[in-house]
Amino acid sequence: MYFKKNFNKSFNILLLRILIIFVFILVSFFIIIPLLPLFLKSFSDNKNNFIGLENFINYIQNPSLTQSFINSLKVAITTTFFSVLIGFIYAYALTRTRLPLKKFFNTFSLFSLYIPPLAVAIGLIYIFGKQGLITQGFFGTIPGFDINLYGFNGIIIGEIFYCFPQALIILVSALNLSDQRLYEAAESLKASPLRKFLTITLPNIKYGLMNSFFICFILSFTDFGVPKVVGGNFNVLATDIYKQVVGQQNFAMGATISIYLLVPSILAFLIDKNFQKNEASLISGKSIPFKPRKNLIVDSIMFIFCSLILILVIGVFSSIVLASLIKIWPYDISLSLQNFRFSNVAGNGYEPYFNTVFMSIYTAIFGTIFVFFTAYLVEKFKPLKKIRMLIYFFSTLPIAIPGLVLGLSYILFFNKPSFSVPFLDFQIFNPFSLLYGTMGILVLANIIHFFTVCFISATTTLKKIDKEFEEVSESLKVPFYKTFLRITIPLSLPTILEIGSYYFVNSMITVSAIIFLYPAKIPVSSVSIVNMDDAGDTASAAAMSTLIVLTSLFVRLIYEFTSRNVSKKSSVWINPLET
Amino acid sequence: MIKKEGSFKYLEIKNISKNFGETFVLKNIHLDVFKGEFLCLLGPSGCGKTTLLRIISGLERQTNGDIVQDGLLISNSPTEKRDFGIVFQSYALFPNLNAKQNIAYGLENKKINKKEIEKRTNNLLRLVGLEKYSDQFPSQLSGGQQQRVALARAMALSPGLLLLDEPLSALDAQVRSKLRNEIKLIQKKLNLTTIMVTHDQTEALSMADRVVVMERGHIAQIGTPFELYENPITPFVADFIGKMNLLKGKYDKKNCVFYYLNNRFLISQNTEYSFLENCLLGIRPEDIEIIKFRKNIEKEENILRVKIKEITYLGTIFRLTVVLESKLEENIFVDVISNQVISNNLKIGDFIDIKLKKEKIKLFESNL
Repeated sequence: MYFKKNFNKSFNILLLRILIIFVFILVSFFIIIPLLPLFLKSFSDNKNNFIGLENFINYIQNPSLTQSFINSLKVAITTTFFSVLIGFIYAYALTRTRLPLKKFFNTFSLFSLYIPPLAVAIGLIYIFGKQGLITQGFFGTIPGFDINLYGFNGIIIGEIFYCFPQALIILVSALNLSDQRLYEAAESLKASPLRKFLTITLPNIKYGLMNSFFICFILSFTDFGVPKVVGGNFNVLATDIYKQVVGQQNFAMGATISIYLLVPSILAFLIDKNFQKNEASLISGKSIPFKPRKNLIVDSIMFIFCSLILILVIGVFSSIVLASLIKIWPYDISLSLQNFRFSNVAGNGYEPYFNTVFMSIYTAIFGTIFVFFTAYLVEKFKPLKKIRMLIYFFSTLPIAIPGLVLGLSYILFFNKPSFSVPFLDFQIFNPFSLLYGTMGILVLANIIHFFTVCFISATTTLKKIDKEFEEVSESLKVPFYKTFLRITIPLSLPTILEIGSYYFVNSMITVSAIIFLYPAKIPVSSVSIVNMDDAGDTASAAAMSTLIVLTSLFVRLIYEFTSRNVSKKSSVWINPLET
Repeated sequence: MIKKEGSFKYLEIKNISKNFGETFVLKNIHLDVFKGEFLCLLGPSGCGKTTLLRIISGLERQTNGDIVQDGLLISNSPTEKRDFGIVFQSYALFPNLNAKQNIAYGLENKKINKKEIEKRTNNLLRLVGLEKYSDQFPSQLSGGQQQRVALARAMALSPGLLLLDEPLSALDAQVRSKLRNEIKLIQKKLNLTTIMVTHDQTEALSMADRVVVMERGHIAQIGTPFELYENPITPFVADFIGKMNLLKGKYDKKNCVFYYLNNRFLISQNTEYSFLENCLLGIRPEDIEIIKFRKNIEKEENILRVKIKEITYLGTIFRLTVVLESKLEENIFVDVISNQVISNNLKIGDFIDIKLKKEKIKLFESNL
């Protein structure tokens, strides 16, 4: 009866479906599927015979190994408690008080994000170690004080350094969402400061608080760098895996311990996810941001507290730099650059450093493209809802996968040239095995290791961009990819730069994900820090750490400069009333 | 007034239904839109009007039914293959493009040479009166100007159909009424078939050739603004378009009498209703008179003795809220010209007699 227009099939929707499925396959192969060989390995002996739960039973019956599990839990719980506490007080000072020099405290609080945990541990050695500045009373000028660095104490101090800024970032953004009107209403009802804190402040930040507990727990439960350097005889799961795999080539036991490391992390992840599900913003768009009042006592206490934290952070950093510049600590304290030659260290010279820089650049470029595109497909379109939800879930998972576990699972997955199909005498070529032994696998491991934070930040930004832009484009017959390039990317540029710099800095400082993966012909600097420290060449390790920190800071400076330019350019788009 | 001579059905909506799982959003919608017509979908929030608009655009897919546009079946066509332009409530202007670039966005994707795009964009800027603002970014424009850019952008590809989703609700009252006239003028000038969604009955009545009143997923009534106001066919339409008092009672068809509590009202309406029980008498507040003097009251018909409960000043008129002594909770609204209230010195608590104009009384079936 009517002319049926023969154009019901849309090329764009087809393309979109293909892209979503393609991304789904990629995230499956990079995140989920590599874990399978790890699980299989934990049920096998080293000759790949299936032995059921024997590895797990052996593990439980070995008192020194079970002790590590308890030690890891102790470290994680203690670190989490102190990191969140310090992070909360610092964040509270930044957001809810009239702290003097706020901008300064704000900038430098995140300084320790650029110091690899390995380097923090090395810095601690120079302050609290046997020959440390404080232990020896500044080269004997004042009475010394020994805190027994090697062992539990050292690990806790190092982990707090590492975890506290992570908690701080989350808590600052949680505390920033506030509504002055709620406090005014409470005041008009004569509520005490404590009551206001318990009934307004705390309920408002409970999701952020929970999230910071979760992040600190996982980071400190699974960290390898700090316990490796200052752990002494205090064994934790992460160092055990390293010893089993690198020391004894016992992959089966390494895989088994990985499961013991993975399960609590995944559990914490699921608890947090379940908790965050109920999150509903208590702060409406009309809310008026909280304006702290002057309070001499509180402001002074906060000033002293924040200053102490910063002095420690800067002290650790300075001691790393100092150690790298001093000829032979503590016997010849004249300054020299000889530690920066790296000539006597396995002959690799500057190669590990440049490898790491290139690895970080590749990670920043490919990681940012991949993560942003994934978030875009998940967030902006309607087709294949179930698959998009799965991609979302997979993308949030890497934060719960410890770097060592990721690295080990990547070895087991990517070194297989082919898979055998169960029950059939049939082999499938594994195309991803081509990456094995190349820089590619290091870049991929880094991209996945830090995927979740980048993915969440991309998603958050994309959510803020009006969904109707895509609909308008459709009505104007403009294909989605043109709108993506011309509208979505320019509007997201600040976040894209942020993700790139996050990837760069973290790839510079990471050790756990790549320590099993780096090919012998591609040495990387964080591994060489471990090796130099193992060989007793701590000064060179400090020198390499200094290089890493300075490079990260330099890139961060470039980022700040670029993003300031971008925001200057885009300021004309933003309504002056909103800023 | 409904349709011009020779105008034809441009858009046919046939038996459209939409449900999300178990819940029905739209149920069996039938609607014809004529070429060059300005049609409003009017209803309270949640009535399905925006969903219907999105189904017409293809941004949402119907569960059942067909859409025919200009003789072509488009029920399953993707959005990008349909012939329409749309303006959203938020305008959705691209913030990083200036006014001119926003308008040209769809044109640049076509294989048209740059001169032609330039010419067409300038024409559109002139049409909406923004020639001077072509280089401004959306954030530098006022709400009304942004709205005009969105309108020009929607018209850039010369669509056969213009869809407006609450286009004026983000603007303040003065700009809104000015833009109402402008949109209407442009629409008539281009003879552009237009469907606008709104929840504002004043907007619908002042702009539309025909209004579709929607209620909980179905069409309650379609008609010109005049028809809807004068002859609403359901109590919902009666009370949504303007204000109407609804009194529940019984109707005696033989004698043309409506019984409300102890009162009887004569009805002149020649109604086909034959029921007796459960019927609603409807009368608009302006169709009730205040009887000042009690002389010869016995001879008057349709009189009620009421007490004034509230007096609300609305400018040229006062709206009185009155109640019967026997039924204090049921409010009746009466609109009175301001001078009358002042000269009679009406106060809260006064008793007055009101008269329901016989010829203005409507009767509705009550489903309560």
